Amino acid sequence: MTDQSIQIGNLTLKNPVLTASGTFGYGLEYDDFYDVATLGGICTKGLSREPRYGNPPERICETPAGMLNAIGLANVGVEFFCKEKLPTLRERGVTVIANIFASSVEDFVAITERLESESGVAAIELNVSCPNVSKGGIEFGRDPKLAAQVTAACKAATKLPLWVKMSPEAGDIVGVAKACEDAGADAVTAINTIRGMSIDTDTGRVRLANRTGGLSGPALRPIALRIVWDLVGALKIPVIGIGGVFSTRDALEFLLAGASAIQVGTANFSDPLAANKIRLGIAEYCAARGVAASELIGRGRPEGA
Amino acid sequence: MPDLSSPSPSRTPRRQVTAPLLRRDSMGNAYHVLTFDVPEGMAALPGQFAMVRGAEWGDAPLLPRPMSYLSGGTRPSILIKVFGEGTIRMARAIPGEPFEILGPLGNTWPSITPGKRPLLVAGGVGVAPLLYLARALSAEGVKPIAVYGGRSHRDLPLNEELADVSDLYITTEDGSRGASGRVTLALPELLSEDVEVFTCGPDRMMAAVSELCAARDVRCIASLETPMACGYGVCLGCPVKRVGGGYLYACTDGPCIDARSIDWGEGSHAPRRVERGDR
Repeated sequence: MTDQSIQIGNLTLKNPVLTASGTFGYGLEYDDFYDVATLGGICTKGLSREPRYGNPPERICETPAGMLNAIGLANVGVEFFCKEKLPTLRERGVTVIANIFASSVEDFVAITERLESESGVAAIELNVSCPNVSKGGIEFGRDPKLAAQVTAACKAATKLPLWVKMSPEAGDIVGVAKACEDAGADAVTAINTIRGMSIDTDTGRVRLANRTGGLSGPALRPIALRIVWDLVGALKIPVIGIGGVFSTRDALEFLLAGASAIQVGTANFSDPLAANKIRLGIAEYCAARGVAASELIGRGRPEGA
Repeated sequence: MPDLSSPSPSRTPRRQVTAPLLRRDSMGNAYHVLTFDVPEGMAALPGQFAMVRGAEWGDAPLLPRPMSYLSGGTRPSILIKVFGEGTIRMARAIPGEPFEILGPLGNTWPSITPGKRPLLVAGGVGVAPLLYLARALSAEGVKPIAVYGGRSHRDLPLNEELADVSDLYITTEDGSRGASGRVTLALPELLSEDVEVFTCGPDRMMAAVSELCAARDVRCIASLETPMACGYGVCLGCPVKRVGGGYLYACTDGPCIDARSIDWGEGSHAPRRVERGDR
């Protein structure tokens, strides 16, 4: 096997395959399936300062080659995570990226500080792009100034690498990403879900209680790939690609477009072994060509693009 | 605040197996029993469920479908009702077609309190986990009472199999078989301090059964069905409202849940209101 390690700023990942926030719980749920420490990393369910119950049902529905979700960031809270989940993850050598969410800069900083005080967190991923909560979330990700403000405030509160997860709904996504880069982000993750809707024609009613939900799955992939391509061309910091990665080939598309790593999301639901299969698939692809995983990054881009 | 995410300790490790369809037994167009060939066996107990998806479905339908086990072991089976794209595919599946089966998931029906007689209340396709339970009880020498209802005689799949292992009462809404009406028609005279109720069927049926049981102080366990993406506590897509606030998750807190802990008036169990999304 060729070298599969990847650099995201100062952070070395075992390989370019991570699991996406909200699709992998806290990692421990996959114990029966495979050793998640073999992955490049796992992004936790979005952690808030206090626990959250989430939205009322229905929260999910399937759509063509995708699904809508409006979970509403139900989570155990950062304190419970640090006490009850992180020690086990640490013990098992899992590379943990703590995804965090807040509705104020102050709360973003408080969660960052709490995580900073723990060992076993490899990086923090700021969710400034959740489409399913009424307060906070996406408005931070739409406005370059707000996104930069959150990034800078969290950066000042931690030595941990800081990733910022981009909303595809920002009018000027490159502008938002550049603002985050200037504010000290170590990487950007692109993309979060895009809001969609579905109506049950039998009942005549909107399917999701939240009315809209984030679209994920293969339906999202070409859009995500285009955005990743644009960001790679515009930024100096690494871009982590996410959006409908279901197979090794999908993952390779993102790497060839210039993503330094990829996140597997909805595919975990269709197949709990998906991320592990993609990890092995990339290694096999690299071995067949005698290249290291890091050499794939941006290979699909013409000279100078 | 409860832990919102932790699956209850799993009883047997869950696994995903790729298994060929062994046979498909059809009962009219709408109901089919799918039996799979799993030589290594699935240690699935009555009440538990599997996430089932055609291995060759590609990108659509995207998600596996939660299905109660009708049987476990080396030939695990499920009962499906044709409803949407996934079940349409399942209803057309031919022997040999590969499926991915992830299980066993969720909890089992709880043990019956000593001295009580089980009373099973099934609605339509909800008969699956109850027939599995009745067969397990029968193997232990216990014969439950069962009430089985459907819209018409065409909506009573496996009724003869259930009759073999229970004292069965049938109800149909159109009166085409058994008593004319809903299962709740037969219940009042069967409910007593000597029975415990196990129910699975449409939400509104289970809500009504739960209410009758509560009024008579009879323990009632309901097996929930909700939309679900993963089946093991990750997607958080299957909440039901809990009495006293918060949610229970059908996959990890259930699917078998004491009906008194469920707020039947809200959540996915009430007719959905568009206004709920308005804020």
